Amino acid sequence: MDNLTNLPNADGFFGEYGGKFVPETLMHALKELDGTYSKLKNKPEFIEEIDQDLVRFVGRPSPLYFAKRLTDHYSGPQIWLKREDLNHTGAHKINNTVGQILLAKAMGKKRIIAETGAGQHGVATATVAARLGLECHIYMGAADVERQSLNVYRIKLLGAEVHAVDSGTATLKDALNEAMRDWVTNIEDTYYIIGSVTGPHPYPMIVRDFNAIVGRELRIQSVEQFSQYPDAIVACVGGGSNAMGIFYPFLEESKVELIGVEAAGSGLMSGKHAAPLNDGEPGILHGAKSYLMQDKNGQVLDTHSISAGLDYPGVGPEHSNLKDSGRANYIAVDDEEVLSSFHLVTKLEGIMPALETAHAFAALEHIAKNYKSDQHIVINVSGRGDKDINTVATMDGISLD
Amino acid sequence: MEYLLTRLDEKIVSLKNESKKALVAYLVAGDPNINSTLELMHGFVNSGVDILEVGVPFTDPIAEGPIIQAAHDRALKNNTSLNDIFLLVKEFRKKNTETPIILMGYMNTFLANSQAIKKAHLSGTDAVLIVDVPGESNLEDLGIINKNLASISLIAPTTSEDRITKICDRSSGFIYYVTLRGVTGSSHLDISEAEQSINFIKSKTSLPVFAGFGIKSPDDALNLSKISDGIVIGSSIVQMIHEQSNQKEFKKIYNYLNEMAAAITR
Ligand SMILES: Cc1ncc(COP(=O)(O)O)c(C=O)c1O
Repeated sequence: MDNLTNLPNADGFFGEYGGKFVPETLMHALKELDGTYSKLKNKPEFIEEIDQDLVRFVGRPSPLYFAKRLTDHYSGPQIWLKREDLNHTGAHKINNTVGQILLAKAMGKKRIIAETGAGQHGVATATVAARLGLECHIYMGAADVERQSLNVYRIKLLGAEVHAVDSGTATLKDALNEAMRDWVTNIEDTYYIIGSVTGPHPYPMIVRDFNAIVGRELRIQSVEQFSQYPDAIVACVGGGSNAMGIFYPFLEESKVELIGVEAAGSGLMSGKHAAPLNDGEPGILHGAKSYLMQDKNGQVLDTHSISAGLDYPGVGPEHSNLKDSGRANYIAVDDEEVLSSFHLVTKLEGIMPALETAHAFAALEHIAKNYKSDQHIVINVSGRGDKDINTVATMDGISLD
Repeated sequence: MEYLLTRLDEKIVSLKNESKKALVAYLVAGDPNINSTLELMHGFVNSGVDILEVGVPFTDPIAEGPIIQAAHDRALKNNTSLNDIFLLVKEFRKKNTETPIILMGYMNTFLANSQAIKKAHLSGTDAVLIVDVPGESNLEDLGIINKNLASISLIAPTTSEDRITKICDRSSGFIYYVTLRGVTGSSHLDISEAEQSINFIKSKTSLPVFAGFGIKSPDDALNLSKISDGIVIGSSIVQMIHEQSNQKEFKKIYNYLNEMAAAITR
């Protein structure tokens, strides 16, 4: 197998995926960002500043926790949880924003923008912007503003402005469109903090690198706690940042199986899902070539998922390359499986996962039987479920008013 | 790659010989419907338009402001496909063989139809402008190899000088200078910055440089035409098409285009 760790290449490609497919106005800003990042990323002071923030502000390292009752329930492999839900603001998204805000600062940008689906990236961005006293604007699909109202209010409390986006499908993809338009317009003073390993180069690389702390910690913790690397690592995939962060430090460990879990929504056969790696074709959206849900004319299809953070027709380009190379496998679980997994994990472990994260747990129903009791599976618990209480109650037919 | 001399080059030579500035008009194919688009294209030419820029609708047009986005959405509700647009151009060519046609759109719709694009010139299309493909890359690399099409590139106020040189080397037809930082239809026109950039571009290429994005009034048109070889009008036309689509006649647009054509020859 080719060396997968050295990607992307200088033009931003992971194999045939990635690149910079953007309007001309943005090309200069991308080059500037690439230059700043390459200059800073190996500088001891920059690394030290991020490490300090991750420890003191985010609360890292996140624990690796043995899920005893879940393990008993499946009576297969030992199930371990990488607890990104315990981070400040409640998800892995903060790992990325803590790093990118320092790039914004180094570039002298005064205004921060971001898109968000579940609102976790919006909260994580508003949080770091508040900390540095920077103006912050969050774009969010109108449908997501509705279903993640708790996070919308958190973002406002943090002093950021939320812009509800009505165009298109009024979800994450349209929020990204609108954030890009803002960026094109305010290119001089604005830094765009993309929330996943998506978008044009260098974003997929930068967001991966900042999230890779998760996988690096796991390398150490797994050896300390069960004397070997995991046999398999499971993570949900929306844009793919939590998955890429935990996969990346294990790409060269060929014995460690990497499993990404996409949203099958109402079922892969129904067409109403958000699983481009399972049921899409390569295409170009939001600045990169990658697997994409599209029709035969190259129009991007509407998606559906119970979880706002996975409700996106595209996926980060590095995942497309990992799929084609066979290094990672991607499966999909539907809304119903996710909901019952949400309840199961909450009751058995006292841990309420985000609906995005519940996709990774739901994969256990399919894969646990393939492993023996001396094997170890790690689930990346990308976030906590407080934000999803309203959605879960509605699905269960319960009114909270 | 070399491409054959097209209708577009002939038009550019003849404008140059007459010392005339070009008036380029944009509309979205299929908004309000494909038959009206055909009627409008002929109407535009009769109102002094030299070159037609036909927008290929896409679900996620990230460089467009709200007016043109809405037009893309309306065209997609009518299921307007690239293939329909080739048929439209073919139909247009039955009555007009002189006016160059540029298809402007986003890479994904062209990727999905890579066979069709290779045959685009057969319908009478003269050039493509793909908004989300950086100008210094080559359409060849993307599997769109076509010596019969000109490849128009955008240059923005933020484009660095070394990239301007590269883009000019790879372009054919004309250079499209984006006059502002923003999406289509914004209003941050800065004439003196535009003038400097256009002069620099012209020092790097013999291709004509047209200016667009943000042109609304005859005054905008006059000011920009003084510093460029032509102007591109989009959002204001698209807005009028929408406003008049119920009335089934487009006189107001034609009057507007006549005014703009007069303004740039002043
Ligand atoms: C908790 C949680 N997990 C996962 C995701 C999906 O994003 P990604 O695939 O980039 O990790 C989100 C996105 O909002 C999220 O909030």
